[in-house]
Amino acid sequence: MALSLKNSINIKKKNRIIDKITRGGLLIPTILSASFVILIVFFVSMRGVSPFLNSQYGELSVDFIRFISGTTWYISPNIYGIFYIIINTLYVVILAALLAVPVSIFTALFIAKMTPRLISGFFKTVVELLAAVPSIVFGVFGLGVITGIVKNIAELFGTQTAGGISTLSTVIVLAIMIIPTITLLAVTAINAVEKDLEENSLALGATKMQTLFKVTLVKSKSGIFAGIILGIGRALGEATAVSMVAGNSGTGPNFNIFNTTRTLTSTMLLGLKETTGLDYDIRFSVGIVLIVLIILTNLILNFAKKKIGRFS
Amino acid sequence: MKKNNRFIRDRIYQILISLVSLIGLVILIAVFGYVIKNGSHLLSWDLLTGDYYSEVYDAYYDGNPVTGSEFVAPSNLDNETYFSTRWGIALKDDLDVEGHHYILVVYVDINSPLASLPDKNEEGNYVSVTSGQELGKIIFIDEGYNIMNPTDGAENAIQMFDENSDIYNIILTTSGKGIRGSLITTVYLIVMTLIIALPIGVLTAIYLHEFASKTNKIVGILRRMIEMLTGVPSIIYGLLGAAVFIPFVSSISNADGGSLISGALTLAVIILPVIISSTEETLKTIPDEYRQASLALGATKSQTTFKVILKSAIPGILSAILLSIGRIIGESAALIYAIGTAIKDEIIITERSTSLAVHIWSVMSGETPNFELASAISIIILVVVLLMNLTVKLAVKRISR
Amino acid sequence: MENINTNTKNVFKIKNLNLSYGSKSALQNISMDIPKNQITALIGPSGCGKSTLLRTLNRMNDLIDNCKIKGDIRYEDNDIFEKDYDVIGLRTNVGMVFQKPNPFPMSIFDNIAYGPRCQGIKNKKTLQEIVEKSLKNAALYDEVKDRLRDSAKELSGGQQQRLCIARAIAMEPDVILMDEPTSALDPIATAKIEDLILELKEKYTIVIVTHNMQQAARISDNTAFLLMGDLIEYDKTDIIFSQPSKEKTEEYITGRFG
Repeated sequence: MALSLKNSINIKKKNRIIDKITRGGLLIPTILSASFVILIVFFVSMRGVSPFLNSQYGELSVDFIRFISGTTWYISPNIYGIFYIIINTLYVVILAALLAVPVSIFTALFIAKMTPRLISGFFKTVVELLAAVPSIVFGVFGLGVITGIVKNIAELFGTQTAGGISTLSTVIVLAIMIIPTITLLAVTAINAVEKDLEENSLALGATKMQTLFKVTLVKSKSGIFAGIILGIGRALGEATAVSMVAGNSGTGPNFNIFNTTRTLTSTMLLGLKETTGLDYDIRFSVGIVLIVLIILTNLILNFAKKKIGRFS
Repeated sequence: MKKNNRFIRDRIYQILISLVSLIGLVILIAVFGYVIKNGSHLLSWDLLTGDYYSEVYDAYYDGNPVTGSEFVAPSNLDNETYFSTRWGIALKDDLDVEGHHYILVVYVDINSPLASLPDKNEEGNYVSVTSGQELGKIIFIDEGYNIMNPTDGAENAIQMFDENSDIYNIILTTSGKGIRGSLITTVYLIVMTLIIALPIGVLTAIYLHEFASKTNKIVGILRRMIEMLTGVPSIIYGLLGAAVFIPFVSSISNADGGSLISGALTLAVIILPVIISSTEETLKTIPDEYRQASLALGATKSQTTFKVILKSAIPGILSAILLSIGRIIGESAALIYAIGTAIKDEIIITERSTSLAVHIWSVMSGETPNFELASAISIIILVVVLLMNLTVKLAVKRISR
Repeated sequence: MENINTNTKNVFKIKNLNLSYGSKSALQNISMDIPKNQITALIGPSGCGKSTLLRTLNRMNDLIDNCKIKGDIRYEDNDIFEKDYDVIGLRTNVGMVFQKPNPFPMSIFDNIAYGPRCQGIKNKKTLQEIVEKSLKNAALYDEVKDRLRDSAKELSGGQQQRLCIARAIAMEPDVILMDEPTSALDPIATAKIEDLILELKEKYTIVIVTHNMQQAARISDNTAFLLMGDLIEYDKTDIIFSQPSKEKTEEYITGRFG
């Protein structure tokens, strides 16, 4: 008896040690997973800062002030400018959001509130599938179909486009790509509105649409706005499809929707030939600007979200 | 009157909303319709298994002059295919993926003298004319030199074959634009990425959900850092691959620049948050009684976790794998940086090659975009990605039931 | 039994009402009249159908997919189940206060002005007057007059419920339906609401569902006792609570089941 008790204490001790080892062992992959964010920031920054440092490129180092304020992408041999690219990126993304948000909210209302379950399930699946379509496929579709439509629209207005490659095409492609993101989050937000609240509105003699617009949407605006923030983040970082229809204009900013444009991501992706040297490293600098822009936009929009969600 | 107005406005809104909701469906149908219309005629076994680069052979005939007409045309040739009874070859006019006319070899009899011709450029090497090849210029010898140009068309070519008994020179092009290399690359990338990311992701999820204290500040920070990965755009991951993984792989292997390994490492980071969150979600659904029952039987926490909990988490891990495969197949921007855009036929994991998605990028970003090939590959990508997503959706529905 | 006040006008006349959700019957053969400017209480154990009956009066059950209704309800002598009946109009005349105080995610002012605005009233001064009057009638004005632009969520539970009553009053209805309006409130807030209900009786017809028999006894003029979807007894409140004619009623009000 005494022996077995002692044994069992020993086993318990051993077990505790085993558990400690397991816990320690599991901490390694966890820290590794978490470390990638730091790796990204650190190494991309290192590489992206190098074009501005004399030590790396000597005479050919890039002037940071001209870089951040420039309105021409490249003047040989070492002058780069991305101010206009930042402006164009924001312009394109804002237009895309303006296009996508009403469509997304309407679609979400339709899915969540206006159809029997079978039809709403079908439409939700459609949106989910749209969300799963890869960027490159939207790029092919954009270049093959949307640029053609835009070209025709431009001709209606009596303007010429570079074969439809333009700000408008970029905006449409981006809008298509963020509609599923915003819609799916909006559906979740709208479904979370208590039925009680809507019944209260109906009992006051409001029509169904008045209830949806004045109560349901108002109540869910915080959640919908979260979807919009996510969508805008996606749009800012979207690269492949955008690069295929943007046209990479050399100077700017350009606000004419039928002219070509240039986004930070299209700058990074297009004209990639060498994998060393200044022209390659400067793309890392553009990458840093993109990261900063995304973080800033997120902060501002989240601040706005707090203001908007005041009453709910 | 007023009441009527309200009802009319209500109806208008209802109709407007219903119409707008159709936009998503219209886009999905348009995307599918476009790629199917442009790409489906290219989809074939040859596309999937063929080389991307075509090879040109320069050969001649060194046997006795061919005089007889003993070859018989196979019965399955159609009206537009012409057959030479003297040389045992069937030809047909065709269009390539870029819309150029060319003469296609449809059939060569196994006993045909064309089945084995000496290579003009490499002595001792033999070239065989086989179906699927493109016929170039031929110089026949009979009572003098007779030249057949590929622009003459299949009918004229067959006529010349039947009239001439010897070949001084024949140029053959093997058909290119196949995607075998990119297909293999994609499979390699999926396997390598999952091998790297799956253990890290699953173990991280287990730590976060089963072992980590819920209130620990450092755990909270680790969790936030992992969550931040989901918001990083894929092109930034590409920069990570270029700045970290390419030099890393180059230093431990004979890779020079981008390689499948650096690509797989980059993709692994991209799918890590998917695997972690999907695994953790399933861990959350496992009732605590399971854990307590196992612990009550005297199992250690480690045994409980790896023998009981992990087994129950398998559905979640499987759905994470499916979603990850979808993500890997669709990924382009990150791979353009982390590997490169050079299409290859021979796949070596320490060298560059393209996944299907980057293959599309490569054929689209040239001077003349190849919409047809891009659409054909898009069909493959879409079918796989959508199947993965639908499977996960159905599986989740079934499990939650 | 169905008509207990021969000398007053009846707002609602319910005849042979049957209601079912899918195959599950919720109300069977209910017939009763609801007299004007009185408080009628519906009592009974949970699931007896009292809330369902209440929600039938302003056709809120329309919102439930598989709800089937047979029978006849007349509001001001019009059949409310008639095909072209103006449901929205019915709901503006028959206000409703729900169990859980549920203000809209907007300011106190906008909450009250919501109904009138939906009717198309845009004039600021008119709205201002409506809001003020409704809040005064709901005995809430003095407590909130300085913060009409604040979020309604910041009010206490009792205040929120009075806000919901004010919101219903703002429509100037004839009838107010109340679905256990005090069940989520503490005794002090409950007492305030009860006082308010007694005051409102002057102007409105009130039908109240309550779980609390003392409450029914305190404030109502008539009481209907329902059990498993049947109307067991319907009479003057003092009669129901002093000498009920049915054994079941007596068992329930003396607390032997429920």
